[in-house]
Amino acid sequence: MAVATQLRTPEDLANLREQAATRRESKRMAIAICCGTGCRAQGSMDLVEEFRSRLEAEGLSDVEVRATGCHGFCERGPLVVIYPKEIFYCGVQDTDVADIVDKSIKGDELVESLLFRDPVSKNRFHLEHEVPFYAKQQRIVFRNNGKIDPVVISDYIAVDGYVALAKALTQMTPEAVIDEVEKSGLRGRGGGGFPTGRKWRICHGQPGDQKYIICNGDEGDPGAFMDRSIMEGDPHSVLEGMTIGAYAIGASRAYMYVRAEYPLAVANLEIALEQSRALGLLGEDIFGSGFSFDVEIVRGAGAFVCGEETGLISSIQGDIGSPRQRPPYPAESGLWDKPTNINNVETWANIPVIIDRGADWFASVGTEKSKGTKVFSLVGKVQNTGLVEVPMGTTLREIVYDIGGGILKKRKFKAVQTGGPSGGCIPEAMLDLPVDFEKLRDVGAMMGSGGLIVMDERTCMVDVAKYFLAFLVDESCGKCTPCREGLFQMHAILSRITEGRGREGDIELLQRLAAYVGESSLCQLGGTAPNPVLSTIRYFRDEYEAHIDHKRCPAGVCTSLVNFGIDSEACKGCGLCLKDCPTEAISGEKKAPHRIDETVCVQCGVCYEACPFDAITVE
Amino acid sequence: MARMGVFICWCGSNIAETVDCESVAQYASTLPGVVVGRSYKYMCSDPGQRLITDAIKEHNLSGVVVASCSPRMHEPTFRQAVATVGMNPYMLEMANIREHCSWVHTNRAEATEKAKDLVRVLVEKVKRNVPLADIEVPVTQRAMVIGAGIAGIQAALDVAAAGFEVALVERQPSIGGYMSMLDETFPTLDCSQCILTPRMVEIMQSKNITLHSFSEVEQVEGYVGNFEVSIRKKPRSVDMEKCTGCGDCWNNCMARNKIIAPSPVLPGEHTPPEVAEKVDAILATYTDPSGMVIGALQDVQREFNYLHPDALVYLSEKSEIPLARLYSVASFYNAFSLEPRGDNIIRTCLGTACHLRGGGRIADAISRELGIGDGETTKDMKFTLERVNCLGACALAPVVTVNNKYYGKMTIGKMMDVLEERAGQDAGQPQEQPQEATAV
Repeated sequence: MAVATQLRTPEDLANLREQAATRRESKRMAIAICCGTGCRAQGSMDLVEEFRSRLEAEGLSDVEVRATGCHGFCERGPLVVIYPKEIFYCGVQDTDVADIVDKSIKGDELVESLLFRDPVSKNRFHLEHEVPFYAKQQRIVFRNNGKIDPVVISDYIAVDGYVALAKALTQMTPEAVIDEVEKSGLRGRGGGGFPTGRKWRICHGQPGDQKYIICNGDEGDPGAFMDRSIMEGDPHSVLEGMTIGAYAIGASRAYMYVRAEYPLAVANLEIALEQSRALGLLGEDIFGSGFSFDVEIVRGAGAFVCGEETGLISSIQGDIGSPRQRPPYPAESGLWDKPTNINNVETWANIPVIIDRGADWFASVGTEKSKGTKVFSLVGKVQNTGLVEVPMGTTLREIVYDIGGGILKKRKFKAVQTGGPSGGCIPEAMLDLPVDFEKLRDVGAMMGSGGLIVMDERTCMVDVAKYFLAFLVDESCGKCTPCREGLFQMHAILSRITEGRGREGDIELLQRLAAYVGESSLCQLGGTAPNPVLSTIRYFRDEYEAHIDHKRCPAGVCTSLVNFGIDSEACKGCGLCLKDCPTEAISGEKKAPHRIDETVCVQCGVCYEACPFDAITVE
Repeated sequence: MARMGVFICWCGSNIAETVDCESVAQYASTLPGVVVGRSYKYMCSDPGQRLITDAIKEHNLSGVVVASCSPRMHEPTFRQAVATVGMNPYMLEMANIREHCSWVHTNRAEATEKAKDLVRVLVEKVKRNVPLADIEVPVTQRAMVIGAGIAGIQAALDVAAAGFEVALVERQPSIGGYMSMLDETFPTLDCSQCILTPRMVEIMQSKNITLHSFSEVEQVEGYVGNFEVSIRKKPRSVDMEKCTGCGDCWNNCMARNKIIAPSPVLPGEHTPPEVAEKVDAILATYTDPSGMVIGALQDVQREFNYLHPDALVYLSEKSEIPLARLYSVASFYNAFSLEPRGDNIIRTCLGTACHLRGGGRIADAISRELGIGDGETTKDMKFTLERVNCLGACALAPVVTVNNKYYGKMTIGKMMDVLEERAGQDAGQPQEQPQEATAV
């Protein structure tokens, strides 16, 4: 980094921005390579090397190679976008680099084979914003992901980074900042949806000179990874949001609690912190305003319950993450008994845009009570998996079908699960539901941190409920009895149902236990834990009844209740099932119908998934 | 010359799944003195018992070994069965190849070998057995319980409630034992005094219980049913008739109140120097001890690949954080391991997206292949398997990481290739590294 001098005034920042932007614009082209965790797993770091050495060998010094954060479309990684045209290549391997440089960098052609081909319409798309996965998205939180190199602060500054901070510190009072955030209608993106501005105001109004800010990056919901991508791909936007929040509330220190499973996020945040301190964007007397602030990173250690506010605070204090009774709320007495304001990563990343572009602009996006956009991690049995940012109020159908491209292998849609282990399953009849905080709560689900898990006809809803309860039993801290014992018993009942030992009245028993657990648990882990059970009973009661009354698993998932066989008419003898069978229960010659030895079969269902001809039968 | 019969029970699949019963039977037939070795699905069933009694008649057997479940379960069954055809019931012994073998092992070959050992031992025992006759002797209908902790108290109360006299002996002046020093009980965190004190009162109220506190058992003689026990009552120098239990003498006792300073333990006195050195280096990076526990434990784990007990003791001594607190934090969070881990740490993701796309099946396949369960390590220290709740790479489901390298869209076949490749690498490979992160 060439920049070493501290930025003392907004003018210093503007000058630096000018320099950074000029340097960016001086390049004829930029190759943005996604280096999020998903694309790294598929080899994108090798691509960066390969592009750099190729360009150097060819003497193309006017082309920049940018290792950016996650572009969201992880399914098709590694992703490469060539600016300024925005040519979009997916599934790029290092052997493709020479071809791309020859055709698209030196020449003006496209490498057809690397373009995105829509699995439904079979159309090829050239440009990033044309690809259906991106076309319907509106990227506010993800504004910079994919455009900037997360470990180069001048990249962030070049795209107007820290302008909002300068504006807040030099032109606005803390009260004015809170007014603006409140007016924007921003609500907490961690799950509860509490209005952010109001939360700040409460903490701001508390007496005491020491207050704390916490960024909750303990993204524990299984099936959600949007916060990870923001922390990895645009760490400065979170830091800027936190600094603005700290100024508004009157806090001088902050903690950033990051999951143990996210080492890259920790590394990128640490780099970002160092850079910000070097430029004086953190530290004493920021922008000469007299406001001082610094952030420390705390690594989590793998406990879901630490996503709960009081559990998180306990964990930062170096203890086990058991939640405690509220009130007092953290805003009054939080970290080390001082007033503390906690928001999650996505919430903080929204703040700079609101200050920069104004509350009115932000409030123009979304629905009446839920403003702005929401990032969802669209995963499960859907064609295009990845991170999706859409305005609040977008319907589930648009997300699953228009953006997600529908269900894998053209199977039938069954449900979409939102809100992680605290959420619920929404059936097909409600696909046209516009997604916002209230609408989801009304149908027995919740926004949660934004996992959207698509389930198809081969998903057993009783198994899903059992899965979430097993997760929660494992993660319950054990402090209060309703959660510790109640969930354990509910899981035992679900287990016996899936093993064919369900009894009449089990459904009602589950509902009764769910009510007790939900109402009497100490924290929201237990409070919302019954949701997956209640919502699956509400919409898929017939599946429970099939398990209990007829000892059948209609989806063919519950191993005790299914027997697999092969339809000799439909079997083409391709050998895919035989190859994957873990117990060598399948035998047969090539191109002749195979058979399953029932005495060896462990009902794992691998063959059922693998068969391209639907020749595996379920009894 | 002994003529032995050996009968191996499958117990349905309880034994047969893990032990090759037929090969155990064949092996038994080759043992000296064994004239018949058979296996059968349920030896305790009527046909199973008939198998034994028929063999006794046909081969004129002098002794029988049944290899099946625990003697607690079916010894009376089989002894009665052999008695019906005239064999002395004490010439039958059971080899417990279920609770002591099939239920506690997963490796079929090794379990089968162990079953053979158990059978051979019992065959030799029965050869040395002599026919016994049942006799009746009078039994003293009184019980003694030694130790009046919560277990002893409950035992005494139960026996007393059944209508028998109990002598309860306790070494300390007061009953209650260790539980009286606890606040909450594991794992339910129930109030321990609320469990204990009502029972302590009950002991005093029970007419069937004679309490000997501040007493020790000197000598035990006799045999089951007729014991002679001597108890030494320690001197109290208190007139029990007059004492009201006010506690004044206790509080003013010169001997009790003398302060005995514990011999000082210097930090690191018992710590190997190489461990101390590494922990010192970790501690040097922390300036503020408040809230450092989790970070410091993570550093210790990275340094030793697990939470080395010597390192924890030393960390506690140096930082003055109680060792119990370190262990409470270490056992609460999933990321910590108190057991040594292998060169390759495999994490299989069981997040929702991975669950739906078969992540659990991959974890099961790894368990089958390596013979290890969740959190376990192979004997050669090559692999450790950890099932984690979400790795946050849901778009690549199912996901597995090996030493933080991500493998997306895994199948069982691909996983086996990865295992094979890693198993082929030499030991001493770099252990878990932080994910590469710095940009170029």
